Amino acid sequence: MNARSPNRRHVLRSLVGSSLLLPGLVSHLLAETSADDPLSPKAPHFPAKAQRVIFIFSNGGVSHMDTFDPKPALFAADGKTLGVGGGLSNQQRRLLKPGWAFKPGGTCGTEVSDLFPHLRECMDDVCLIRSMKGNDNEHYQATLGIHTGSFFFSRPGIGSWISYGLGTLNQNLPSFVAISAGSPYAGTQIFNNDFLPAYHQGVRVIPGKEPIANLDRRTSPSSVQELELGLAEALNRRHLNSRGHDSELAARIRTFETAFHMQTDAREVFDLSQESDATHALYGMKRDQTDGFGWPCLVARRLVERGVRFVELVDGTSSHNWDQHGDMAEHAQHARNIDQPIAGLLRDLRQRGMLDDTLVVWTTEFGRTPGVDGEKGRGHHSACFSSWLAGGGSQGGIAYGSTDELGATVAENQVHVHDFHATILHLLGMDHERLTFRHGGRDYRLTDVHGHVVQALLA
Amino acid sequence: MRTILSRTLHVLGRLRVSVVVAFSLALLANFTASAAEAVFLRAINLNGPALTIDGRPWDGTNAAGITITGKTFENAHVPLKPPTDPQRSRMIRSSVWGSQVDVVVENLPAGVFQIFLYVWEDNQSEQFDLLVNGEIVAEDFHSGSAGTWKKLGPWRTPSADGKVRISARAASHGAANLSGIELWSGDGAIPAPTRPTFTTALTPEHTAFFEAKIRPLLVEHCYECHSTTGKKLKGGLTLDSRAGVQQGGDTGLAVTPGDPEASLLIQAVRHTDASLAMPPDKKLTPHEIADLETWVRWGAPDPRVEDTVATAQARSSIQWKTARDWWSFRPRTSPTPPSVKGAGWPANDLDRFILARLEQGRLVPAPDADPKTLIRRATFDLTGLPPRPEDVDAFVAHPTPEAFADVVDRLLASPQYGERWGRHWLDVVRYADSAGDNSDFPIPQMHRYRDWVIDAFNRDLPYDQLVREQLAGDLLPGSTVRETHDRLIATGYIANARRFGSRVDDYPQHLTIEDTLDNLGRAFLGLSLSCARCHDHKFDPISAADYYALYGIFQSTRYPWPGIELEQKQRDLVPLVDSTRLTEAEAARKAYDQERRQLERSVQKLKDSVKETPADQKEQVQTRIKEAEAALKEFLKKGLPFELAYAVTDHGKAQDAAIQFKGDPAKPGPVVRRRFLTVLGGNELPEGTTTSGRRELAEWIVAPDNPLTARVMVNRIWLHHFGKGLVPTPNDFGKQGKPPTHPELLDWLATRFVESGWSVKTMHRLMMNSRTYRMSSQQTDDAIARDANNELLGSFPRRRLDAEAIRDTLLVLGGNLDTSPSGAHPFPPQSEWKFTQHNPFRAVYASNRRSVYLMTQRIQRHPFLAIFDGADPAASTAARLTSTTPLQSLFLLNDPFVHEQARQFARRLLTSRGETPARVGLAYQIALGRSPDAAERESAQRFLAEVQNKFSADDRATEASDAAAWEALARVLFRLNEFVYLD
Repeated sequence: MNARSPNRRHVLRSLVGSSLLLPGLVSHLLAETSADDPLSPKAPHFPAKAQRVIFIFSNGGVSHMDTFDPKPALFAADGKTLGVGGGLSNQQRRLLKPGWAFKPGGTCGTEVSDLFPHLRECMDDVCLIRSMKGNDNEHYQATLGIHTGSFFFSRPGIGSWISYGLGTLNQNLPSFVAISAGSPYAGTQIFNNDFLPAYHQGVRVIPGKEPIANLDRRTSPSSVQELELGLAEALNRRHLNSRGHDSELAARIRTFETAFHMQTDAREVFDLSQESDATHALYGMKRDQTDGFGWPCLVARRLVERGVRFVELVDGTSSHNWDQHGDMAEHAQHARNIDQPIAGLLRDLRQRGMLDDTLVVWTTEFGRTPGVDGEKGRGHHSACFSSWLAGGGSQGGIAYGSTDELGATVAENQVHVHDFHATILHLLGMDHERLTFRHGGRDYRLTDVHGHVVQALLA
Repeated sequence: MRTILSRTLHVLGRLRVSVVVAFSLALLANFTASAAEAVFLRAINLNGPALTIDGRPWDGTNAAGITITGKTFENAHVPLKPPTDPQRSRMIRSSVWGSQVDVVVENLPAGVFQIFLYVWEDNQSEQFDLLVNGEIVAEDFHSGSAGTWKKLGPWRTPSADGKVRISARAASHGAANLSGIELWSGDGAIPAPTRPTFTTALTPEHTAFFEAKIRPLLVEHCYECHSTTGKKLKGGLTLDSRAGVQQGGDTGLAVTPGDPEASLLIQAVRHTDASLAMPPDKKLTPHEIADLETWVRWGAPDPRVEDTVATAQARSSIQWKTARDWWSFRPRTSPTPPSVKGAGWPANDLDRFILARLEQGRLVPAPDADPKTLIRRATFDLTGLPPRPEDVDAFVAHPTPEAFADVVDRLLASPQYGERWGRHWLDVVRYADSAGDNSDFPIPQMHRYRDWVIDAFNRDLPYDQLVREQLAGDLLPGSTVRETHDRLIATGYIANARRFGSRVDDYPQHLTIEDTLDNLGRAFLGLSLSCARCHDHKFDPISAADYYALYGIFQSTRYPWPGIELEQKQRDLVPLVDSTRLTEAEAARKAYDQERRQLERSVQKLKDSVKETPADQKEQVQTRIKEAEAALKEFLKKGLPFELAYAVTDHGKAQDAAIQFKGDPAKPGPVVRRRFLTVLGGNELPEGTTTSGRRELAEWIVAPDNPLTARVMVNRIWLHHFGKGLVPTPNDFGKQGKPPTHPELLDWLATRFVESGWSVKTMHRLMMNSRTYRMSSQQTDDAIARDANNELLGSFPRRRLDAEAIRDTLLVLGGNLDTSPSGAHPFPPQSEWKFTQHNPFRAVYASNRRSVYLMTQRIQRHPFLAIFDGADPAASTAARLTSTTPLQSLFLLNDPFVHEQARQFARRLLTSRGETPARVGLAYQIALGRSPDAAERESAQRFLAEVQNKFSADDRATEASDAAAWEALARVLFRLNEFVYLD
C-alpha cells in the first residue's frame, strides 16, 4: 500500500463516519493481492534471465548494408548491374555503394558503420543478427509482422503477449507501455491487445505535457478528487458487502486506487528533474528536452526500473522515418537521433546492473535494396535485414548469420521474424508453443504455427 | 470433330446423365449447331518474330495485314509475374508502347470476333483505357507492378469493314505496353488447350527404368509421408500407386506428363520454393532429380497396378461417418419441458428447463428481484439506456407480471431497441465505417447498412429473411423500390469485408474473401471455417474442399472497391435507382467517370506543356490550368445524379474456385463445385449456374433442417439477456467451443424460434417474461459453494454495462443525448482523398448521438470504445469482454467528457425544485433508478459540505462552489459499481 493512502483513508473516515464502513470480508478482499488479478506476476515456463523488455522499433526500413552489415563487395560494385538489385522480385537494378565506412567496435570487433559511432562502442553487449528475414515488402504489413507475427490480420502485439504471459511487478503502473510520439505504420494496432483482455493493451505515452491520456487531475481544487474517491469507495464497499463475494466488483474498487496513484506515480516516472546532469548527458539530451529519442530512452529505463514489464519505443512515424527512397544521405539524421540515446540506455542499464535481466531489442520492419531506388535511395527489402538484442541473457559481442556479398539474400543462419519472436520469448522463460490464447475456436500464438528458438543467440 | 464429341461426352458424364451413345449423338447435333466453339483465326506478336504459343502459330510484327502504331521496347530481365513458358515469355517481353497505341488488323472475313490482348508492365504501374473499334473494353486499367502480365479478354466485336482496331489511351505522360493479340472468329466458347496425357503403353525400357530408378527413390524418400503405409499422409498425395501419382494431391496435379518444368513434383524436389521443398530436410541428389525429370518427360510411365487412392482417402483426417454425432450437427429436437418439483415457480415453459437443472443440483432459484431492479435490468437490456424515473414509478406502483409484460412490449416498440440490438448484430458482423486497407479508406455509404440493421431489428424482420437479404438482397427484388433498395443495402454485410494492403495489381482479394467466409461461418453457423483455408479443419468436419466450394460463391461476387493507396477512387458501388433504370444509371456513371477523367487529363496535359511553353506564353498557360482545375472541381462537386450503396452484386462471370494449397492462391489445386458444407448436407449448385450462388447459400443456411442457424441465433439472444450464452462460446459450436449448459432448452428455444417465423421479438418476450429473468442477482452461499460460476442460473448474473451503454447513459444524465436521426459521417469529400499508408485516414468525430452512431474505423479503435472493451472492428465479437483497468478509472476521474456530463447533470439538479435532501434524492433516482437510504443521504450531504469547505472562505456557498459540489457528487455517482453493474 502506498504511503499516501492513509491520508486519504483519514479524510474518508472523517467524512462519512463509521456508518458506511463495514469491517470484515471487504477489507480482507481489498488487502490481498488477488490471484484473480490478471496482471499479478506469473511464473514463466522455465527460469530465465530476462525479467523485462525494452523493444526499440525503427520504422521505415533501416538499410542493413549502411548500418550493421558491412558489404565490401557492394562498395566495389557501385554503379554496376549484376543481376541482383533487391526488392520483392529481386529486380535487376544498378547497385548503390553504402554511404558510410565500417569500423570494428568494442573488444569483440563487430563492424558497424559510421552512422552509429556511439552504439558501435557498445557492441560487446550487443548480439547482432545479420540474417533477419520477413514476409512482406510493404511497411504496413512488415510492421504488423514484426510486432504481431501476422503480416495481414491484426493480432495481439508482442508486448501484449508478454504482459499476458508474465503479468507485471508494479500494480500502480501499466504492464505494457508504448512510447510513440507519432503514429507508426499500421497505427496503434501494433500495441493493441486485439483478442487478449484489455489489461494487456499497450498504454500509449506521447512525449510532452500529458504523456498518458487523463493522467492529470481535472478537479479544482484538486483535493476535491480525494473526497470524491473517498465517498465512492465507501459507497462501493457498501454495495459490495451487500452483494457478498464478487471479485469483479472488488477489482473495480481497486482500479480507482491504482488510477489515483498513477496520477502521481506515473507523473513521477516522467519527471526527469531527479536525474543527474551526467545521466542527461549520457542520453545526449538537455534538461527539459522532450523531443528527440533521449526522452523515450530515459523514461524507458525509469519505467522498467519501477517494474513495468514491456516498454516499446517507436522511432519514426508513418510519415517521417527511415524510408529513404530518394536519398540515402537522410539516414544520417535518423541515425543521429537515436544513436547516442540508445547507447546511453545500454550503458545506463549496464552501470546500474540492470542489463543482465533487462532484454533490449532493436529492430526495423525490413532492410533496403542493394540496388538504387530513385536517384540515390534504396527500396524496400524484406529478404534480409539486421536486428539486435542486448542483455537479458542474450549473447553479447557476436554477429550471427550473414547475407550474401551484396546483402541481397540471407547466406547462412536465417532468422525469420517468427524465430526472432520465439527467441525473445525464450529469453523471458516462455516456450513460444505454450504461450497460447484460445480465441474463436483456435489456440493462437505469437509465432502462429512457425518459429524456432535460435540457440546461438543465447548466452 | 472427334475431340468435340469426346469433350461433349465428358461433359455429359460429369452431369451424371445416363444415356445411350446413340441418343447422345443426337443431342450432339443440336449442341454443335447452337454453341459452336470459336475458331482460332490468327495471333500476332506485336514486337518480334513469328513463334508458337499454346501449340498455335503466331505471326510476327511484319506479317501482312497489320498496322501497328507505337514505340517498340524490350526487357529481358524483369521476372514475369506469374512466370510462364519461354515462347510466351519472349512474346510478352517485347512490346509496343506509348500513350496512344493502335493495332489494326485488316482483311478479316465478316462476322463476330473475340479478341485477347496481352499487356505487361516493366517498371511502374500505369493507368490507361483499352478500346476495341473505339468502344472502351477496359476502363482505367492498372498495369501492375514490374513484371506483371495479363491476358485480357475475350472481347467480342464485329469486324468493321474487315478491320479490327485495338487501342490503348493513356494520359500524355502515361504508357501502355501491348505485347500480343489473339483473334478468334465466332461467338462460341474458346476451347481450352489440349492437355498431355500419362503414358499408358509401357515399353520394357519404361518398366526397367521405373524399377531401377524411380520406385526405390519413391520408397526411400517419399513413402513416409505419401503412401498408405506411411506414418502420416501429407498433402493428400499418395505416390505408392499409379492412380495416386496421376491423381495428385491437395495442391493439384503432382505431375504434368511430358513437362517437368510444369510439374509440382519436380519443383518440389528441386527445392525452388521453400514452402514446397520435398523431401523437406534433405534434398535429393542431382542424379535422382534428373531421373525424376526423365520419368516425367516420358509421361510418367508407371507399371504399378494396385490402386491406393481409396485407401488413402479412407484415412482422411475427417471422419465423415461420425461427424454428425457432434451435438451441434445433430438434428434439432423439440423436447418436452421437464416436470419439476417446485411446480409453483415456473412462469412459462422455459422456466421448467432451468428449474429442473437447479433441482438436480439441489439448488433453489433466487427470489424475485425487486421491481426497481427489474425495470432497470429490462430497460438497459432492450434499449441500452436507463429507465426514466416516471417509468420506474409507474411499474413499482403495480409490479405485476402483466405490467412487466407491458413494459417489455413498450421497450420493444421504442426506436432505441433497434439501436441496442442492432449494435449487438454489428458486433457479430465486425461493422466498420472504413475499409481496413493500409490507408484505411473511409466508406461514406457504409452507414446505410448500419441503419438497415437497426431498422431491421426495430421492425422485427424475420431472422431467416435477415440472413437472406444480407447474403443475397441484390438477387431478391422487393415489391417496392424502397424494399429493393433496402435489400441491396443489406448486402453491405458482404461488402463490409476487410480490404488489405496498398497494391492494386496483386490485390489480395483472396484475403477479403477469407474475411467474408470467416465472418459468415461464425455469424450464421457458429463455425470457424477459416481453419480449412490451408488444410482440412483439425477439429471440425470441414474440409479444404468445403471451404473452396463456398469460396467460389464469393469469388463470383463483385465487391465494391473502396479505394486504396494506389487507386484512390471508389468504384463498383451500386446505384440506388429503380431497377428499370439500372442500365441507364450504369451508363450515367460511365459517362461521369469518362468526363471526370477527361477533365483530369486536360489539367495534366496543360501542366505537362508548361515546360515547353515559351516564357512569354507561360502566364497564359497558367491561367488555362486554373480554369481547367476550376472546371474539374465544379464537376466533382456536382457528383452523380443518384445515391450509391456500398453493396455487392454478381459480376456475371460466375465460376467454381480451385482449392488453394496452404491458402496460397498462387498454388491452385483441383476445382470444386460451389456447394454447401458437406456436414450440413453438401447441397450443390446445379452445373452451369451462372449466378454466384449467394441466393442458394442463404437458403441452405436458413433451411429448416440446418441444425445450426436457429440454435446459434437464439443463443445470441440468450447471451444478451443473461450475460452468458447457453453455449458459452457463441461463435464456436464446434469441438473447440464449449457444449451447451442446457442442451434441451437450447433446442426448445430454437424450435420455438423457427415456429414463430424467426421472430426475434417473440424470443425476447419468451425469455423476459420468464421467472428466470425476474430472479434477483443475489447468490446464496449455498449456490456459491455448489455452482460458483452460476452455470445452472440459480440467480440472475450480475453484469457490467458495455461501452456504449456507459457512454449513452452519461449523455442521458447530462441531458446531452442527441436523438435526432443519424445519417452520414462528416468524412472529407472524395475529391480530396489522398490517403496512403504513410498518411492513412484517421479521424474521431465528436458527437452527442448514441454510441452506435460513432464513426468506427477498422484499424484504429475509437479511444473511448478501446478503453471500455468495445467491439473489435476487425473481427467478429461474439461477447464483449469486461476487463477492469486503471485506464477506465482514469477516464472516469479526469476525462473532459465525464466532467462535462457531470456539469450538466449538476445543473439539472440545481434547477430542480426543492432543497438539498430532495436534490440528493433526485440524483439517485436519475443515476441509479432508486432513492437513497438514510445513510446515503447523510453521507451525500456531508460530502457536499466538505467540498464547499475546500474552497476559500470567500468562495464558499457561492453559486460556483455550489455547482462544484454538485458536480463532484455527480462524478461520485458515475464511478459507482452500482452505476455500471446491472443487478
